[in-house]
Amino acid sequence: MGAANGRRFAEHGIQAMKRTSVKIVGASGQGINSIGEILAKGLKRSGYCVFGYREYPSLIKGGHANYQLDIANEHIGSSETKVDVLIALNHHGLEVNLEEVKQEGLVLHMTAGWQFSAPHQELINRRRLRVIYFPVDDVLLRLHANPVLSNVLLTACLWSILEQDIGLLKSIVAETFSAKKGLLELNMRCIDEGYSALDPREGKVRISLPSPRKDFSGHLLITGSQAMGLGAIHAGVRLYAGYPMTPSSPLLSFVASLENKTRMVVKQAEDEITAAQIVSGAMYMGTRALTATAGVGFDLMSETISLNAMIENPTVFVLAQRPGPATGLPTWTSQGGLLQAVNTSHGEFTHCVLSVSNSQDAFDLMPVAFNLAEQYQITVIVLTEKQIAEALYTQAPYDGKSAEIHRGKLVTDPDKLKELKPADRYDPTATDGISSRWLPGSQAATYCAQGDEHDATGAVEESWPNAKSQTEKRMRKFQHLKAALPEPTVSVASQKEQTAPWMQDDKEIELLAVGWGSTQDVMLDVMSSEELREVRIAYLHYTYLWPLHTEKLQKLAKRSRRIVIVEQNNRGQLGVLIRMESGVDITDRILKYDGRPFFYDELLAFLRQRLVDDVDGHALATANSGQTSSSPQRAQELS
Amino acid sequence: MNTELDITARAVSEYYSETRATWCAGCGDYGIWTAVRYALAALKLHPWQVCLCYDVGCHGNGSDKIEGYRFHGLHGRVIPFAAGAKLANMKIPVIAFGGDGGTFSEGIGHLVHGLRSNYPITFVLHNNANYGLTTGQATPLTWQDQPMNTSPNGIPERTLASMDLVFSLEPTYVARGFSGDITLMTRILTAAIEHRGFAYIEMLQACPTYNHFATHDYLLERYFDANAAGHDPSDLERAKGLATQTQERIACGILYQREDVPHFYERLVSRAGVETTCVEEVRKYDISEYCKELQ
Repeated sequence: MGAANGRRFAEHGIQAMKRTSVKIVGASGQGINSIGEILAKGLKRSGYCVFGYREYPSLIKGGHANYQLDIANEHIGSSETKVDVLIALNHHGLEVNLEEVKQEGLVLHMTAGWQFSAPHQELINRRRLRVIYFPVDDVLLRLHANPVLSNVLLTACLWSILEQDIGLLKSIVAETFSAKKGLLELNMRCIDEGYSALDPREGKVRISLPSPRKDFSGHLLITGSQAMGLGAIHAGVRLYAGYPMTPSSPLLSFVASLENKTRMVVKQAEDEITAAQIVSGAMYMGTRALTATAGVGFDLMSETISLNAMIENPTVFVLAQRPGPATGLPTWTSQGGLLQAVNTSHGEFTHCVLSVSNSQDAFDLMPVAFNLAEQYQITVIVLTEKQIAEALYTQAPYDGKSAEIHRGKLVTDPDKLKELKPADRYDPTATDGISSRWLPGSQAATYCAQGDEHDATGAVEESWPNAKSQTEKRMRKFQHLKAALPEPTVSVASQKEQTAPWMQDDKEIELLAVGWGSTQDVMLDVMSSEELREVRIAYLHYTYLWPLHTEKLQKLAKRSRRIVIVEQNNRGQLGVLIRMESGVDITDRILKYDGRPFFYDELLAFLRQRLVDDVDGHALATANSGQTSSSPQRAQELS
Repeated sequence: MNTELDITARAVSEYYSETRATWCAGCGDYGIWTAVRYALAALKLHPWQVCLCYDVGCHGNGSDKIEGYRFHGLHGRVIPFAAGAKLANMKIPVIAFGGDGGTFSEGIGHLVHGLRSNYPITFVLHNNANYGLTTGQATPLTWQDQPMNTSPNGIPERTLASMDLVFSLEPTYVARGFSGDITLMTRILTAAIEHRGFAYIEMLQACPTYNHFATHDYLLERYFDANAAGHDPSDLERAKGLATQTQERIACGILYQREDVPHFYERLVSRAGVETTCVEEVRKYDISEYCKELQ
């Protein structure tokens, strides 16, 4: 690392953007989530953007779990590996998570008489950590309160440390217990106790948050699964069938929780095959229906996707990714399902793969997915990740007006229905490969949605000219679909600045990062850090992953000093697709495949290293080609 | 029981298809195919008013030999597809057809849950006691020890007691037909389509090419119309006995029926009082009400 440029990146440190993080740790089932959710709600209503991240093992009670909230007064969508406040509900948390506390951070715990190990005591001294023991059990005993109220006590204690309004906290807790008067009073007493627990005579303990921003208080606090559920409802989905499997289950639960309001048909199927078939039958009949699963269940659904390709039945499948193979890491995150989705099922056919990246597009893309499915009479696979499905986002109110419902070549007009012939259904001469579709129950000529190769009416037909023309009909949709799909989006600097003067001036891009899914929000946070704000760094984000556009990528590659692919899988699956479709081989890859998402400080460090390398020793960096460095020259040669 | 059927030739001919039949001479599918058209005509249903869903097998090759909105899907999976279709549009009668292989091997879970869910559909089991289309392998309903393609020494597994299984799942309609008696099949099909919940029909059918044990003549000698013989379909114990004991004589007709059990859709609280179908409800929905709870 050269001295001059090394300073350029190092002097800002990684705390350039004012972020505060709170991590609640303890055993699964101890109430970690309830503390996290009350805190998140309170801070959001106070005018902060919070981003909630959950880690937990695949079991119900016991095991070590945590809920982290990252807090800022501008939009954030990522977590840090280091925290300002650690709340430990058991001593195990003190042992496991102490090293994650930042310099001069705070540890709040409830383990009486806890003695830190010598190395931990040394760490506490070195980082000047403040360790506060809150005798929660004593207070509970005095109040004759159930141990579950320890969550309220701790929340209130932290609330005082964050210097937030006690009235607001009380009103939030009151919303939960308004129907139970006795319980409500006890909760209010716990808030008073917790809020005043720290004796100011022993030194003021506080964590200063930046000044709040009013507009966040009107935002939603929403998980990616809830956002997707709302998007599905908005898109006109009237039937949902699913089989429980993390991380797709929260979507099923959310849709089911609203069924008496939406009046939807919700069916917990006996397996994923059933869910896929029910949804396919419902779509064939003409409603909009949805199912979701994780990789293992998606394997089971893949025969149905192939069937839908042959009968040209519009369908939408959500694939919520977690690490495999097999059941893998059931409650952790991954982007390992891209090639699974793109290469799903036997036979050659046209389908579409797109990926959500946060609570905004998890909502926006559901009407889009159903429109594409119906317009092209294809299966659309919508990818999400455990990280998106279960993260808690501070979300601006959704635009309920812009989405449109497009049903493609669906014929419903009685006069037009009368003119239809059976051979219109799978007419192989349709120029874009898309033929008329009409629904059972329509007063019209009938046809067969035929799983065997078939003629234009759906009658089985095995002759070679027919096999050829029907295959070509189905594949002809591919180019038309590709032409209709948007190119990936470019971001520079921050989310509010999609572009910058230097970008329009055609200047060299110092670093072009390429990614998809949840990587986007971490990337945008990193790019809006003070450290990188002035660097000519651009991020190319893929929402539409199949068919894949590479034109914009190739154009940007020509003016980039370095290209890096950023993915949460081992093979760099988007990189594989890009190479397959364009010949461009992006050899510099930031890959993560340990079940954890990219963290803010972690990704910042990865990028900083590359920028330092490039400035100080570009020759050295490119010489070490392979996993750690890119070769844009080579990319251009191939493209 | 040979009753007069209220079928005009014109109504049946609406279901006529130009596609030539490809079944073997003497195949039971001809009879079942004919009875299905008679039943639909008897119910005064036009082809555009019905949805016919076929599983994979010889019977499934009939999917293009009849009119109507049809579907021909994957092996063993026809019941959930048909259920999904029905739940989306309760106004359309949905009839699913499957063979004994697909239904009791690959798709047995779907049958179990279809019966348990009491979906308002008709399911017609084409039982020829073998996998015909894959050239005569044993199915779970093939007799034990019967030599078949891939099991020259006879299958070591016990024959699955299909009617015991069906009755263990508290069915609301169970009937049995024989491919040699079109009138009887038409009667039980007509009643099944009009039945409130999940109607299970077993059609015993001849397979002249691969089934050399339960042949047309074998079935013809043993079958009888139980209803004509005085069987009351509300008698559960008698129905079970008739359904499961087939060594001497084979009882056909409507063996069991009850109309007092709500079907799946009727049990959906979310759909109570909703007059429209899911198909009719596709439009953009306002979600602002649901957002309030996420503030």
